[in-house]
Amino acid sequence: MKREHPPGAVGHPYPRVEAPEKVTGRAKYSSDIRLAGQLSGRILRSPWPHARVKRIDASAAESLPGVRAVLSRFNAPDIKWYEEGKLFDETVRFVGDEVAALAADSEEIAEDALRLIVVEYEALPFKIALDERSSGKTQVKWRGDVQAGLREAEIVIDDVFTTQTALHNCMEPHGCVATWEAGRLTLYESTQGVFSVRCEVAEKLGLPQEQVRVVTQHMGGGFGSKQIAWKHSVIAALLARKAGRPVQILLDREAENLAAGNRNATRQHLKIGARSDGTLTAIDVRVLLQAGAYTAGGEESDVIGTYQTLYRCPNVRAEQTSVRTNTGPAIAFRAPGYAEATFALESAMDQLARELKIDPIELRLRNYTELDQQENKPYTSPDSLRKCYGEIRRAFDSLKGSLKTETKKRRGVGFAAHDWVAGTGHPPAEAIVRIGDDGRATLVTGTQDIGTGTRTALCQIAAAELGISPSHVRIELGDTASGLQSPTSAGSATLPSLGPAVREAAASAKTHSGGKGERGPNPFHKTVRTCGAQCAAVEIDTETGEVTVLRVVTAHDCGRVINPTMVDSQVYGGVTQGMGFALIEERIVDQATGVVLNANLEEYLVPTVADLPDTHNATLSMPDLEANTIGAKGIGEPPIIPTAPAIANAIYDAIGVRFRSLPVTRKKILESL
Amino acid sequence: MRAFEYSSPASVEEAIRLLEAASRPLAGGTDLLPLMKADLASPSRLVNVKKVLDDRIREDSGTLSVGALAVLDEIEKNPVVRQRYTALAEAAAAAASPQLRNMATIGGNLLQRPRCWYFRNPRIPCWLKGGEKCPAKEGENRLHALCGGGPCYAVHPSDLASALVALEADVRVRGKTGERLIPIEDFFVLPTEAWRCETVLQPDELIVSVEIPSTEARSTYLKAMERKVWTFALAGVAAVVRRSGGRIERVRIVLTGVAPIPWRANAAEDAMVGKQFSETLVTDAVDALLEDAAPLAHNAYKVPLLKTLVRRALEDIFRDR
Repeated sequence: MKREHPPGAVGHPYPRVEAPEKVTGRAKYSSDIRLAGQLSGRILRSPWPHARVKRIDASAAESLPGVRAVLSRFNAPDIKWYEEGKLFDETVRFVGDEVAALAADSEEIAEDALRLIVVEYEALPFKIALDERSSGKTQVKWRGDVQAGLREAEIVIDDVFTTQTALHNCMEPHGCVATWEAGRLTLYESTQGVFSVRCEVAEKLGLPQEQVRVVTQHMGGGFGSKQIAWKHSVIAALLARKAGRPVQILLDREAENLAAGNRNATRQHLKIGARSDGTLTAIDVRVLLQAGAYTAGGEESDVIGTYQTLYRCPNVRAEQTSVRTNTGPAIAFRAPGYAEATFALESAMDQLARELKIDPIELRLRNYTELDQQENKPYTSPDSLRKCYGEIRRAFDSLKGSLKTETKKRRGVGFAAHDWVAGTGHPPAEAIVRIGDDGRATLVTGTQDIGTGTRTALCQIAAAELGISPSHVRIELGDTASGLQSPTSAGSATLPSLGPAVREAAASAKTHSGGKGERGPNPFHKTVRTCGAQCAAVEIDTETGEVTVLRVVTAHDCGRVINPTMVDSQVYGGVTQGMGFALIEERIVDQATGVVLNANLEEYLVPTVADLPDTHNATLSMPDLEANTIGAKGIGEPPIIPTAPAIANAIYDAIGVRFRSLPVTRKKILESL
Repeated sequence: MRAFEYSSPASVEEAIRLLEAASRPLAGGTDLLPLMKADLASPSRLVNVKKVLDDRIREDSGTLSVGALAVLDEIEKNPVVRQRYTALAEAAAAAASPQLRNMATIGGNLLQRPRCWYFRNPRIPCWLKGGEKCPAKEGENRLHALCGGGPCYAVHPSDLASALVALEADVRVRGKTGERLIPIEDFFVLPTEAWRCETVLQPDELIVSVEIPSTEARSTYLKAMERKVWTFALAGVAAVVRRSGGRIERVRIVLTGVAPIPWRANAAEDAMVGKQFSETLVTDAVDALLEDAAPLAHNAYKVPLLKTLVRRALEDIFRDR
């Protein structure tokens, strides 16, 4: 057989380089770390949604044999956390908030000891749910005159959409092992950002960054929830210092689902004005988002982003208000803000297409923009979304033509587009490549591989530049001790940040047998973005409310495809999570007590393999060489964004009911028919 | 999980002797261990019964006897069960996941506690756990009881239990004074102030086997879930119909996800029994179904769902066989 490319050439499949370690169980996750004398740490969490911690009696816990250290606000260092809080604050603000912690010889002793801590609380009034009267910090973005645009419109879609609080449910919960040696702290942390954790933990502990080392060799999912240093890391470090022994803290599934972040619920009141030919004249949106008790990581999801950019529209007013509630803090969750907003925007666009009797893809094309309208700059890949539409066009038409619908089992097809502000990458990102005497290369970077195949893709890039096989490249990563800066693996940034640095390092190594590469800045006069489209086919059993997602076809602009197998993996994962968001995933909070009723994997349902559609990824490789020197952009987040609206639009196509509230459960379907 | 003693007796007598209020028998552990991890059960002793009970499935002298240790996977795959006690095989197949079905025993399945998210949450003192009232009644009750509710509104989670009630099984129970055979409808009881539990089994008793009278009846089990597999029923239906000529001689329709115990649809049964089979008979049964339902704020959707499941179950039985 003729082989045109060596195995693992850029643009061709290559198996994960860490796969043998993972399938043989040799890969070490934070939960696998066992250091000499290691203790088990546990955190006591608030049973109240809002209360004052008046008194803590930990004497019984402290005197339990095997307990080595106990911390609470009455003996812990005074460390500021969140906006106005402390590591152990006098006020607890959600069920699950940290109250005290301890370390013991075993998990069982630690749990017994937690039960012995007596806390006296003074209950305070609390707020759990988002409602239309909620208020909070507001930001507004606008261009043009939205009132004039609405007056000019021949049709206005005016609807309220809501999205639910979704939980990340990483396979591996948050956790770390903290150990001190000669005043230096090492954290084996399950994190998306070894450098961000180093920076934040050093700051909290008042240490120079050089005295903190953070290591992440493997991790079982982050999806945004592990992009900051959470309290457990500092608590583990303090317990370890107090006990004089290493301490491991692993969140259990309940703690993971109470206190380690979530996708904020939203309420979006949306008005879209258009002329009868489908041309948009105005987009007016008011968003309430449920931030939870704190702003974790200092940012909030940009729900209003896509309203300003996805379609050409001269008059846009987008307002979002972040509402405090006595629930766990929200944090980025795979395409934060965009997954929520795209459900509303693309449902409304589908409705507009229906009312104007315009084909849904044609409607998008009539409102296509090659310009970043917020910055008034062209995109580096102005045509890529159009190409994605083209790929989905064929799948959409063929599904439309082939679906047979019966009276009781109704089938439908839905379409949705999206853009995404990230996937662009950015500096600082550094890499070193050394060539050994045997001609094999060693690639060193500071980045972590969060499970997306970073190791593999970076080896492929180095190998391509060096003209050798990826199997002859050894990679070291996930350790701040390398001193090589790299960004947090968030915003689909890892590959487009590190890839150019690796390529430059490899190019330099060719001539000097060793070289360093640094990623340059993003273009100034153009905007880099990612975007895409999906279509979904569903079947609804109208008598039982059962939804079956039959097929999903995806096309995304991720620039140059480095490894199509890894891109497919991200697409399947995104579609799976998007489908869960569309149909079944929803945190349920008891309004009377603030207790999360399904902080587990039994009642918080995620899709199983049996639920999954036949998914085809039609993503084209579209090198974007104005974006960066390898032409690649991120694909981690985009695939989740349009899945929920594609499914919701398919449900409308099947049964003629517009669901404006996620998830579309069997209950909602049965109640609607 | 709290510390506990572990005993692994060699005889049933010894196992029963070790059972008392503070100890619990351990078979598959698929419900007991999660209850212990959540601190909802804290036995001081676990008594392993895997060495002393039976896991065989045998049919003789007009009875199918299923040993208490028979796991759901064996029940699902047993050819006799599949052919002649179809509802039981289908209920086993619809339950849990392959891993759980390999561990979970029929005895434990009948004794599992409700999945109600208030009951399962250690932070909430619900009535069934000794608290003052049921928080689900005015709370998040989309998964809760339509019938038989109050003081507890949890639903019984077992798919197999409904099939066994429909198949008119008996539960063979052994205690300190010997064995007794309890009709399964009497085995399950609505919890009361004095007995906050769903079965009559005493702490020092063991289920030894489940015995099902041999039957010429046709049966099926249908289950509706929020996702395709591995979750408890939003609603389930076990239906058993015996015909003699064109006449419906005997019918049992038992509902899962409806009441704190498997719930017989008496009115729907009455609409059919003794009648000649006709096209409208199924409609009559479905019309009579759940006339006793008292939906809470968020669970009325189960009524049309159950009506569809019952209609489809009966149509399956009449069409295929």
